[in-house]
Order: sequence, then C-alpha cells, then structure tokens
Amino acid sequence: MTARRFSGRLWWRPNIAGLLTMAACGLAWELTIQAGIIDFQYLPAPSAIIQGARELVASGELAAATVHTLESVFLGWAIAVAAGVSLGLLLGFSPLLRRYSLATIEVLRPMPAIAFVPVALLLFGFSIQTELMVIVLPSLWPVLINTMGGVMGVHARLGEVGRTFRLSRAAMLYKVFLPAATPTILVGMRISLTLAVVLAVLAEMVGNPEGLGYGVVSQQQALRPDLMFVYVVVIGLLGLALNALLIGVVSVSFPAAAAELKGYRP
Amino acid sequence: MSVAGGDTTGRQEHDFVFSCRSVSLKLPYQGGNRWILQDISLDIRRGELLTIVGPSGTGKTSLIRVLGGLTSCTSGSVRINGEEIAGPPEGVIIVFQDYSHALLQWRTVFLNVALGIEGRIAASELRIRVLDALRLVGLEKNADDYPWQLSGGMQQRVQIARALAVRPAVLLMDEPFAALDAMTKASLQDELLRVKQETGCSIVFITHDIEEAVYLGDRIAVINGAPGRIERTFDVTLPKPRDQILTRQLTEFLKFRYAVHQAIGGIIR
Repeated sequence: MTARRFSGRLWWRPNIAGLLTMAACGLAWELTIQAGIIDFQYLPAPSAIIQGARELVASGELAAATVHTLESVFLGWAIAVAAGVSLGLLLGFSPLLRRYSLATIEVLRPMPAIAFVPVALLLFGFSIQTELMVIVLPSLWPVLINTMGGVMGVHARLGEVGRTFRLSRAAMLYKVFLPAATPTILVGMRISLTLAVVLAVLAEMVGNPEGLGYGVVSQQQALRPDLMFVYVVVIGLLGLALNALLIGVVSVSFPAAAAELKGYRP
Repeated sequence: MSVAGGDTTGRQEHDFVFSCRSVSLKLPYQGGNRWILQDISLDIRRGELLTIVGPSGTGKTSLIRVLGGLTSCTSGSVRINGEEIAGPPEGVIIVFQDYSHALLQWRTVFLNVALGIEGRIAASELRIRVLDALRLVGLEKNADDYPWQLSGGMQQRVQIARALAVRPAVLLMDEPFAALDAMTKASLQDELLRVKQETGCSIVFITHDIEEAVYLGDRIAVINGAPGRIERTFDVTLPKPRDQILTRQLTEFLKFRYAVHQAIGGIIR
C-alpha cells in the first residue's frame, strides 16, 4: 500500500475509461437510430436530446428544476443523516434500546416510499414538505443501520484503550467510537444520498409538481420525448455528480476513511 | 544465587505500588462460570520490573486486566498505593499485545501519543511531552506518519510512547513483544530497560517466553495451572545493565532459566 495514496489530491482525476464507455454507449445509440435499425418515433437520438437540452437551458426551465430537486435532495438527506447518525449511535450503544426497537424498525424499513405520497399530500399539499416526507424516512435507514453496525463493530480493544487512559464518556464517543465507525457511517451516507435523489424525483413525479421529476412527467404528457430524455439524463448525471462530490469531500476530510471507500470510486 | 525471595518480609506497605491479597477471578464461560485466577497474593515493588511468566491459559492476561482495573476480581483485594482499586487507576497504563487494534488508525503517530494527555495539559506542554515520549522510543522522525504506514515493531513503540506520555507510575505490559520477530524483540527489550532507567516507573511485564522473563526481570513471578496460581517468585540477581549477548551467556542466567522452567513444570509453550 503506497503511503499517501488516499490523502493525496487525486480524487478529482477523471476516470477516462469510465467516460469512454459512456461515450461509446451514446455513439452506439446515435448510430442505430441514424441507420434506421431502430425506428420508433418516441425514442429520440442523443443528438435530438442535446438539441432539446439547448432549448430547456435557454428557457431557464432546466436550471430551475435542477435547483429545486437539489434543494429537496440536500435538505432531505441532511435530515436523514442527522437523525440516522443520532439514532444509530443510541441503538449501537444500547442493547436494551435495540431489543425494544429493532422489530419496529424492521416493519418500517421495507415500506415503499410511494405509499407516503397520498398521506404527505393530504398533510402538506403541493409543497417541499411533501417531498421531504417521501425522501427522509427511506433515506434514514441506510445511515441508521450502518451507524449502529459501525459502533457495534468497533474492536473491543479500542474501548479498553480509552478506559486505561481514563477518557470521559464524551471523549470516548468523539475520540474513539465515532471516528472508528466513520468509514461504515460514510457507506450509509453514500447509499442514502443516491436514494434521496431517486426519492426526490419520485416525489416530484407523483406528488409535488416541481423539479426534475415533474419535468419528466410533464414532457411525457406533452409528447416531447426529446425533452423528457433531457430530464432523465440530467437526473442520472446529478446522481453521478453528487456521488463524486461526496467522495471528494470525504477524501479531503477523512483520508483514513476514504481508504475504505476507495473501491467505490466512480 | 538466590532463587528464593519475593516474599514480603521486612518490607513496608509503602514500598509497594500494588498489593494483591488472595485474589480470585471467576468469569462467565459457556453458560456457566469458570475460575481463571485462584488465591493470587503478590506485591509489586515501587520501581521494579516484575515479569510474570507462565504457559497459555493460566490467566496472565486476566491478572493484568485486574491490575489495570478493566476487570474486577471476584474475591480478594487489590490495592494500589494502599487504596482498593475501582476501575482503571490513575497513572496505571496497560500496553496491549495487539498494537494494530490498540492504536487509533485514523490518527497520526503524534496524535495517538497525545491521546492520554490532550485536553488535560496546555498545548505547548503537550507538544513537548509527546515529542519526549517519541524520542524515548526513537520515533521522533515519525510523528506525522499514520500507524498503518509503520512496521509492527514501530507500531508497538508508538503504543509504548503513548503510555509513557502520561508519565505513568506503573506500566502493565501484556505480552507486548510476542507478535514481533526475534531481532525487533531483542531491540525493544533493551529499549524498555533503558526507558525504565530514564523514567523510573514500575513495570509489570507478562510473557510466556522464559528467557525474556529472566532477561528483563528484577523479579520473576511464575504463574501456572488453570485456574492460575502464583507458583513461586524469584529475585533476579543478574548484573545490570543487561546485555543481549553477555547476560545470556552467564551461568547464572542459565540457572534462572532452568529454575523458572522447573517451576512451570517442564512445559514450554
């Protein structure tokens, strides 16, 4: 293992091979349509999608929708992370709490987010709260479960080291257990971020008529597949960008934890 | 050669850092309980290096955990400076065998060594104390490295430096060199003797290596059996400073080695 591979500043280096695969897929798509191999009026060629993107960028619709979706994603994710880490720590440290609450959690966990849309609409109407209600609960679980598992998985020796140095309970938490569990917590945060994007789009498609998700639905209803695909592609790129951003922030602020995430670099 | 000794005749209680009286320990085991230590009476003299030697499964580690306050004994009394211990006592630091689990892998060497004193003394003082401790173990150049960048021997030195930084009265070392190769082990043994000379702290050193016990010890306690009992103790009358080649060639060294071996019952593990 090279000494400072993970603390370096190479996280932003683009993955050329990965980008080439994406470009090759786009080119294949374009060629099959240009050559008439696929002739289906509702499947536009990438060139038509790029044309559509110009249109949506010029009108400002794309930017507004992206900003709205980003806002919901970040807000929902932040709430999910804050609640997930706190509850995960409590559960990780308390066998009693685990015994009383894990069954309930296992009932709530598989509930489909879409089931909350009617409830959220009744409570909050067409608003960002509706979106948040759909985003937060499902994105909470990966953070909560990973934080709990992370704390429980901290090697017993580390706790004994803390005791032999007579650390206070607070110091034990923020000097030993929290940093030791950080790589696992970051995995949960990462899964949860992608989930938050999916859920925000979902909430916009069937709940709050705003953002990228509503863009997909409204362009579909307007019979403009070229514009609809613009939104679909932007949603994908947004996921990619957020993931890269998170990994970037992690490699700079937690070099040791980033080492454990290295296999997941996009 | 004096192979007897180790009893408490003629010594005052304040000569001892630790006094164990009839200490027994019972731990849960497979649904029931199992006796790990039985009727251990042992004093640790101020400023001595006491090695505790015995085969595996005789409760050596459990004994050090009791002294370090991580486990409380089932019956008997353990006193430090005359006071019954309850939890890890101040100025008593355990150095664990498995350094890779005992070091904070996300902290640099400097910050690992600072763990026991940060927030308790001024930052300028902290820097001096940490660098002093690193100098004692010869790691002053590695302050900014991470533990996973260091060899096993260096990582164990970090753990020792971390203990020394709190200026402990007693170091409890649980087979600290058992996972290291022979050469690293020899150099760390000499380093430990030098550190003890410089700091004057008392050291309890657990090992299953008879030669190590004789080479390092001012006194040796032989622990044996399951549950473990203190078989006997020896005052090691070998000259100081000890030397890896010369000391080990002395007839007396061989006699002590033989005597400890006999006390264990001829089983070397």
